[in-house]
Amino acid sequence: MLPYYFRLALLSIRNNLWLSLLMVAAIALGIGVCMTIVTVNYIMGSDPIPSKSDQLFYVQLDSWDPNGAFREPDEPPNQVTYLDAMALMQAKPALRQAAMAGASLIVTPEDADLKPFIERIRATYADFFPMFEVPFVYGGGWTQAEDDNRTLVMVLSKTINDRLFGGENSVGRTVRASGHTFTVVGVMDDWSPVPRFYDVTTNPFEETAGVFVPFNLITELDLPRNGNTNCWKPSGDGMQAFLNSECIWIQFWAELPTVTDQQAYLDFLNGYVLQQKELGRFQRPLNNRLNDVNTWMDKQQVVQDEARILLVVAVLFLAVCLLNTIGLLLSKYLGRSPEIGLRRALGASRGTVFTQFTVESALIGVVGGVFGIGLTWLGLRGLELLFGDIVDNLVQLDWVMVASAVLLAIVASILAGLYPALRACNVQPAGQLKAQ
Amino acid sequence: MLKMQQVAKIYRTDTVQTHALNDFSLQVDQGDFVAVVGPSGSGKTTFLNVAGLLEAFDTGSYQLDGQDVAGLTDRERSKLRNEKIGFVFQSFNLIPDLNVFDNVDVPLRYRGFSAAERRERIEAQLEVVGLTGRMKHLPAQLSGGQQQRVAIARALAGAPRFLLADEPTGNLDSATAAGVMALLEELNSKGTTIIMVTHDNELAGRTDRAISLRDGSVQEISKQQLLAQA
Repeated sequence: MLPYYFRLALLSIRNNLWLSLLMVAAIALGIGVCMTIVTVNYIMGSDPIPSKSDQLFYVQLDSWDPNGAFREPDEPPNQVTYLDAMALMQAKPALRQAAMAGASLIVTPEDADLKPFIERIRATYADFFPMFEVPFVYGGGWTQAEDDNRTLVMVLSKTINDRLFGGENSVGRTVRASGHTFTVVGVMDDWSPVPRFYDVTTNPFEETAGVFVPFNLITELDLPRNGNTNCWKPSGDGMQAFLNSECIWIQFWAELPTVTDQQAYLDFLNGYVLQQKELGRFQRPLNNRLNDVNTWMDKQQVVQDEARILLVVAVLFLAVCLLNTIGLLLSKYLGRSPEIGLRRALGASRGTVFTQFTVESALIGVVGGVFGIGLTWLGLRGLELLFGDIVDNLVQLDWVMVASAVLLAIVASILAGLYPALRACNVQPAGQLKAQ
Repeated sequence: MLKMQQVAKIYRTDTVQTHALNDFSLQVDQGDFVAVVGPSGSGKTTFLNVAGLLEAFDTGSYQLDGQDVAGLTDRERSKLRNEKIGFVFQSFNLIPDLNVFDNVDVPLRYRGFSAAERRERIEAQLEVVGLTGRMKHLPAQLSGGQQQRVAIARALAGAPRFLLADEPTGNLDSATAAGVMALLEELNSKGTTIIMVTHDNELAGRTDRAISLRDGSVQEISKQQLLAQA
């Protein structure tokens, strides 16, 4: 019977075109607005590295002001000092670990026709690449020896490699940047985790950096740093004074596959801090923390409260659209009471009539869902126009969201159609047949 | 075949109770052509609705083709209605958006026949009522008489045991009404049991048997009495 109901639904939609379009518009608008906001929230809150998000831990050491927490009531700083980053890197108590910070370079292309450009870079350690499962098109990351020797090597993003070398295998070739000559050791494949979990201290939805270099080059070459720096007491003058200060500006990640590894690492951190306390540092109570990827995203409120509130508003808007649809469906279905009465007389049970009208509701939902996807796409493009590059990564409509939109539209329209269909199937046939 | 015993049907509002059928007993046998006459409000349509399983009754018993219909679920009543009863209404009650073929198809869909069997039955019935050439027409493109013929074809397509006709000629001019009546008589002569509600005593006089309803109760009435009242 389903094909028959489907045919009747199409006929009904065609014969009540404007009313049907009004319902489709109501559902499409509700779905469009709701899915636009849901998409943004979904991407904001998605697990950026599901294969090992529970094995990667962000390190927090409470080196902050003894007179007040970094963030009340007792949140430790969200970055570490240079002194601590270096100490942890040297001790290397984790399977893999990497300190990192943002910086920038002025890149001078070989091609004289191309102008030099400033590129955001990430200064980090060799473990960064295997730890975060960075894919490569050519070559790979640098080695620990190159970290230690402060070798002038770099890993390029695919985009930068396209720009500098036309997409060719550039491993072994050199790049002039900020007055130095770097050797390319690897070219990453497309890799832009959203959120950019490894550094959420600045905009977590920015593209990943175009160039990666060994962390030690920041100090070696005195590269200009990008990112947040917080100090609870004056850092003193000069680069060395800054490096020896209590200013926090480095993100630190460790790969700890097992609970035992995690406990051992935390014990190590606590031991390190107790040792530092003896030297007069870390005057606050022991408060070191390890946060896995998703916990860290939550703590840093990557999905902001405003976005969550907006999501609730969007769902309420969808509910209002559905209430309108209920009214329209009720009007449409009860307007067909004579036909319902006749069908009941000719052998349709209440269940049969209910199914017929539910199929019609679902069909309206499918059409509304398809238009809703279009409106979602428009909504996301609107956000892109409004906020520009900073939301580039948030306004992508993937197949999961497309399927979800259609499914949501069908479920929503069936729900909206339940009451009208129930009313329709309870139409008393006797009263309708004589009335015609 | 159709046997009602002491059936009562009461319509209730907050303040008023109306006894539409009162101690109503009737037996209709296979092949009968029964006319039901009576003044407006006498309970004719209520009787037809109860007989057609469109309304429940309050007390008494009703057996349709040997099956007690009391206590049947909506699904069972619908199935019984679909298989055993065909309806013809005064105002034809065709679905305006469906063409003739699809209108006749409606009860067959609920019966679960295959597409081939449905087509065969529809074409056969439309041939019986002389509308083979109008299959693709919409009801609005047909005359009143043709619409009623479509309704009769629809009622008979599932080969029901009973045809319940509620004023089948009420909306037709006399010539067309005569044609429809002739068709019903022909169908009855081929074995279809027909119960026809009518205001027209002359038409009632052409049936095998007539009953008169008054205040929800039934009484047999002779052809002479009918003609005298005509």
